Amino acid sequence: MAITKEAYKALECVVGSEFITDDPILCEGYRSGPGGYESATGYERVMTTTPGAVILPRTTDDVQKIVRICNRYKVAYVPYSTGFYGPRSHCHVKNELLIDMKRMRDFELDDKHWYATVQPGVTYSPLQAECLRRGGYVVVGGGGAQVSVVANMICDGWSPLSLRIGFPHRRILGVELVLPDGEILRTGSLAVHDDAFWGEGIGPDLRGMLRGYTGVLGCLGIVTKLALKILPFQPEELKPTGISPNTGLALPVNRVKWLNFQVPSKEAETQVMYEIGKAEIAGAVTKVPLFWRAIAKTEGKEDFWDIWGKESEETIKNFHIVRVLLIGFTSEAQMRYDEAVLNDIVKEVGGVQRPTKPIDQSWIKNADSAGMWLMCGAYVSVDYIIESIPHADTHGPTYAELKARYTPPFMPDYGDPGWTMVCEAGHQGYSEYLVYWDPDEDTNPVDRFYVETSKMNIRERYYTSLLGSHQPLYLTGPKYGPNYHEWLLKVKGEFDPLWICHPPVPLAHDQFVERAEWMKSMKDWESPDEFPMPKW
Amino acid sequence: MANDRYDTPRKKASFEVRDLNNFVYDMSRCIKCKGCYWVDHTYMPGVKYTTRCPSGTWNEFDSYQAAGKLRIGLAVAEGKFDWTPKLLEVVYADPLCGACDVGCKRNLDLEIELSLEALRMKAVKDGAGPMPAHKKIARNIADTHNQFGAPHDNRKKWIDKDISVAEKADLLYFAGCSASHTNNEIARATGKILNASGSPFMIMKDEWCCGNVLYSVGMIDEATKIAKRNIEAVKTSGAKTLVTSCAECYRMWKVDYPKMLDIATADLGFEVIHLLEFADGAIRNGRLKPTRNVDLRLTYHDSCGVSRLCDAWRPWKGERGWMGTIEPTYKRRRGTEGLYGQPRNILSAIPGLTVVEMPRIRENAFCCGAGRGTREAFPDLARFSANQRLEEVREVGAEALVSACPFCKNNFLQAIKAHGEEIKVLDISEVILASL
Amino acid sequence: MATKDDLAKIVGESNVSDALEDLSGYSRDLSLHPAAMADVVVRPGTSEEVSGVIKWANRNNVPVVPVSSRTHFHGCTIPKQGGVVLDMVRMKRIVEIDEYNRKVCIEAGVTWRQLTEELDKQNMRVIMPLLPHPERSVLTDWLEREVPTNTVYDYGEPMQSLEVVWPTGEIFRAGSASVNGYPDSKSKGTNPAGPGLDFYRFVQGAQGTMGVVTWTNLKIESKPKIDNILFAALDDLARAEDFLYRILPRRIGQEVLLLNNVDLATILADKWPDDFEKLRATLPAWTLIIVISGLRRRPEEKVAYEMEFIGEVIRNEFKDIALTDNLPGFPGIGKKLLSLLRKPWPKEVYWKNQWKGAAHSLFFIAKPSATPLYKSIVEEIAMAHGYALESLGMYIQPIEHNRACHMEFNFFYDPECGSEKALIKSLSREAAKELLNSGAFFTRPYGDLAAINYERAGGYASALKRVKKLFDPNNIMNPGNLCF
Repeated sequence: MAITKEAYKALECVVGSEFITDDPILCEGYRSGPGGYESATGYERVMTTTPGAVILPRTTDDVQKIVRICNRYKVAYVPYSTGFYGPRSHCHVKNELLIDMKRMRDFELDDKHWYATVQPGVTYSPLQAECLRRGGYVVVGGGGAQVSVVANMICDGWSPLSLRIGFPHRRILGVELVLPDGEILRTGSLAVHDDAFWGEGIGPDLRGMLRGYTGVLGCLGIVTKLALKILPFQPEELKPTGISPNTGLALPVNRVKWLNFQVPSKEAETQVMYEIGKAEIAGAVTKVPLFWRAIAKTEGKEDFWDIWGKESEETIKNFHIVRVLLIGFTSEAQMRYDEAVLNDIVKEVGGVQRPTKPIDQSWIKNADSAGMWLMCGAYVSVDYIIESIPHADTHGPTYAELKARYTPPFMPDYGDPGWTMVCEAGHQGYSEYLVYWDPDEDTNPVDRFYVETSKMNIRERYYTSLLGSHQPLYLTGPKYGPNYHEWLLKVKGEFDPLWICHPPVPLAHDQFVERAEWMKSMKDWESPDEFPMPKW
Repeated sequence: MANDRYDTPRKKASFEVRDLNNFVYDMSRCIKCKGCYWVDHTYMPGVKYTTRCPSGTWNEFDSYQAAGKLRIGLAVAEGKFDWTPKLLEVVYADPLCGACDVGCKRNLDLEIELSLEALRMKAVKDGAGPMPAHKKIARNIADTHNQFGAPHDNRKKWIDKDISVAEKADLLYFAGCSASHTNNEIARATGKILNASGSPFMIMKDEWCCGNVLYSVGMIDEATKIAKRNIEAVKTSGAKTLVTSCAECYRMWKVDYPKMLDIATADLGFEVIHLLEFADGAIRNGRLKPTRNVDLRLTYHDSCGVSRLCDAWRPWKGERGWMGTIEPTYKRRRGTEGLYGQPRNILSAIPGLTVVEMPRIRENAFCCGAGRGTREAFPDLARFSANQRLEEVREVGAEALVSACPFCKNNFLQAIKAHGEEIKVLDISEVILASL
Repeated sequence: MATKDDLAKIVGESNVSDALEDLSGYSRDLSLHPAAMADVVVRPGTSEEVSGVIKWANRNNVPVVPVSSRTHFHGCTIPKQGGVVLDMVRMKRIVEIDEYNRKVCIEAGVTWRQLTEELDKQNMRVIMPLLPHPERSVLTDWLEREVPTNTVYDYGEPMQSLEVVWPTGEIFRAGSASVNGYPDSKSKGTNPAGPGLDFYRFVQGAQGTMGVVTWTNLKIESKPKIDNILFAALDDLARAEDFLYRILPRRIGQEVLLLNNVDLATILADKWPDDFEKLRATLPAWTLIIVISGLRRRPEEKVAYEMEFIGEVIRNEFKDIALTDNLPGFPGIGKKLLSLLRKPWPKEVYWKNQWKGAAHSLFFIAKPSATPLYKSIVEEIAMAHGYALESLGMYIQPIEHNRACHMEFNFFYDPECGSEKALIKSLSREAAKELLNSGAFFTRPYGDLAAINYERAGGYASALKRVKKLFDPNNIMNPGNLCF
């Protein structure tokens, strides 16, 4: 149903005519693709569309009024913080209202109690700059320093610095959200105070509705304020240096340094990361896919392919680099202690240190996810999992095996099993599997591969982040929980009976499989004849 | 594996801005990372001063920053839209400052600036653009060879008895329309600096507008005619080096002239430099001696034409195939050749000056918003941008704001006057002169 | 009786009882909550049996009160609307100790004593709250968000994935244990989050109202090789907090805590009442306890750099604080406390109950700088109620770099004396309201705290009730607690 004149007028009264538009030119600017995260896929082509209107609220009050108007006039809406997450965060139905949160940029920081309170328009690098200035740091998720802090914290966001500080959901403190029916929910200490310093309770913790490990993509309301933990860092300044594209933070090596180690085998890689966690040292540790290192070195796309073209399965198999970030949280003496323990660990596996520049080009303030598109033009992380180290160790190779059957159109990676690291002092292992392809090629196999990975995870009994709205809910639902999908749909039905908030999520991927001709052969699971949601 | 790279069908491709279809590839690969909009993350100063896209900061719909514009541009290339006033605004309310190009090229190989230029070429080709204010400038240039419509005879009025201009010299000073007509102080200061350095200089027998606005708004045919005429004039003069004191002229001569003629900057037949490069070299080898104390606390604004936008031009055409790889390969222009060190060297050599840096500098500088015809067509955007920048000036407690471009100077002056503030706005030529 | 027979079919005859002597133990606890009787108690041995009981309860609209510990402090397990007590005592397996992944999987009935003894054999430990009761369920204490004495881990809570029987009776696994076939799977159950929603959050702090958690995975840690326990005697709480603000963000210490003289005396006293009276009178107003540890690798060097740092801070900024390895005047306190801190309470009578028989704890999460204010609020209200300040126990537990703290007031009383109970109840209510008005945050609203907090957090309560209704449409799961 088109956004009526009356609805538009009511919305205009909330923000002023300057901050709302239904001009098709301006709305075209909010198209999901064709480029971007998970773009150039069938999902993007089949499931997304340009908005019917775009609105830019400034306050929680604005958002609440907008949501209430949408409920009254039956206007579907989707919350949008930067739009970086690709098609799943864009409009899925015609005449939908896109709520662009970028004007909501309020920011507060309590450096005595180590937390910041932000609105959805605040992105990571400004937050990190403010933290570093005050002797603290946050984890800039792999999505990049340009992503919205709120969106990343309620979806997925980890980096090698997750070595110490855990899941994003453990770092969320008080939260304020506008529920799909326009009610406001404040959690943690925000429920009773104007201060978001604590996140738990009261009693049962409704932060459970926010994330689901990797988020509900905004289909259960709009977070308008979120407080997150800041971690104490060290006192020396990290100076930005260099001219684009070669910018980086110069590291005060008596208190912060990256170290690269070459180790003899994949098992040695794992052992080093494991022992670092167990020794409770360091600020970050990661094993890096070889082609990321090529990206870091390269001068451009063609140069990358020249570098990469020299590699093979053999060279990949024999090249094992572990990167470690040491942080002198306590003192220089502590830094020396960490380094001594680290050298002990590396020596135990027969590893050697390689030259490392005293500069941070990625992870502390900048996280260079954009470079992922350099090689091929299209990319998605087809899974990212925090589980155990043994889980991480086998997960990547299992993916690599499956991916080989879909290469091409995927970029040849010579069996590289993706990115792994260790979280929460080695209590968890992390694996992320990334795929790249040329969007000009036939991308139907990309769509099929995506669902194929879900089946693989189920078959091989892996955990996966791609649950909920990321994969067909009726495929994954019965197999995890079991039947987590029933609870998710119950919660959705209770808080959004109209399915007005970002329809048809969380059944979007189910709908995609029904609509796309080339996906029909993939469907070998049960789902109802009619999905339990109103039609939009 | 090596064969895969070469078996994929290859298409002809080129960076020729006259055809928007040459940039469908670039526009379709934008990943919405908004590196075009944000300050480089490594340099991000904090929760204030986070952006370097003037149009996207002025109007906060995504459609006004490159991420949105490229999607719109694609739709234009596909013939999806008619040219409406809104579409024209999206395309033209933009000083083409290059922040988006440099920001994107930190990680990717997409030609954002060229895509935006090509969009304007298309607007003009379709008869929709440029904006009425631009058409007025074009008429002025056609009639009086300057963008202001001032009498052409007044072009050399800046030359007073204190300035010695040679009949013939290796060095040719191109004053530009602003220094000639509205900002004589810049031309005079430059002339005196050149004299003081002991380098004789000549001027063009008949100096015409460089055509900056014409090119910038998409009137490429007119701009190309002027380019050819001006290049010929310089060659005829026998000059080995052309020096200018205007960042916009500098960009035009160094980058857009060769671009329009499909040659490399290196093949122009003469070197193009800005006063910044000249003065920096002259101070370093002792030909210029800044000995007078200049008691001023100032900050330097990196004008776009001498920073992000001035990498030497290299044309390219060839084929694009597998994974978007092109052949022959092309060394991307990523804004690394900006004149960042030169002004800072100059200022640090001047006794008595206290130089403080704003939060956004060098390739992260926030454009003044005036250049390339923007102020004339979108005074509100120009005023907004200047005010954004002036906030930074206030933040660092500077008494004076210095730049290397008359458009920056005039736009900042106008904004300051509107506030009734005491901040001085100077061209770097004036500061150098004051120290001699 | 029909109920007993029905339930016997599910859990076996020997695991059901409606005898008074069996039920009366569940009718009261160490809280101020009045006694109330259940109708029957069942002791399931498997998750399927738990599920069976709950399904039966739904069909018959009978409340279910889950119980996992042998002792209770907060009144949550008193059957407020009658019904069935579901005692997890038979489900007390330590399912697996996974040393490589540093985790343990335990059933709900596993106690602190049981777990710490087992882990000790493998040279491992689980971080602990202060002196947990040996017969309390480890799983439940973590579900209920007891605050650990260890401040050094950024990741805070040790909870990982778990299994819950929802109030509808469905058996469900949250987190990475949700993988089909777990534990015969690649997943080891280390991730608590998901699938789809963060279900584990719904059962945390739920006082048994959102389902019965049958087992959980928990993180375990290596045991340090060296431990140095340090003490500082402090009169000024604000000064103590300043010191903690300074050193804790630098990641100093394993266990770090502040105890006032009353609480510490209660913990240390061996002979009652003599030892206690002497300790109470002579211990400093506040004792700061910091354990500096060396871990598995280069332990001496770790201890050395931490000691060096603390030494420098004290020399340059906190000359008035004397941090030593023994509290002057209290020989042997170091060894004694260190052993106490790493184990559950070792004696028959719980430390809080040794003095008068019972203690009521009023606790909340606070910003450490506000603790002096909260102290004076409670003292004022205590005095107004005629509660002697010399009998007021206080414990402050810093959390994660001192970003916040758990502040706890202990009011000691004779559980047989009705007037004392009434006084404490009234005092506690008034104090809670005043504390809440001054910024304290009660994440665990036991007893009276529930109404006080949920009234103020109306929006939260309303959303919580909506969620509760989805999982427990008949409101059979431990009704009468929280806002249900």
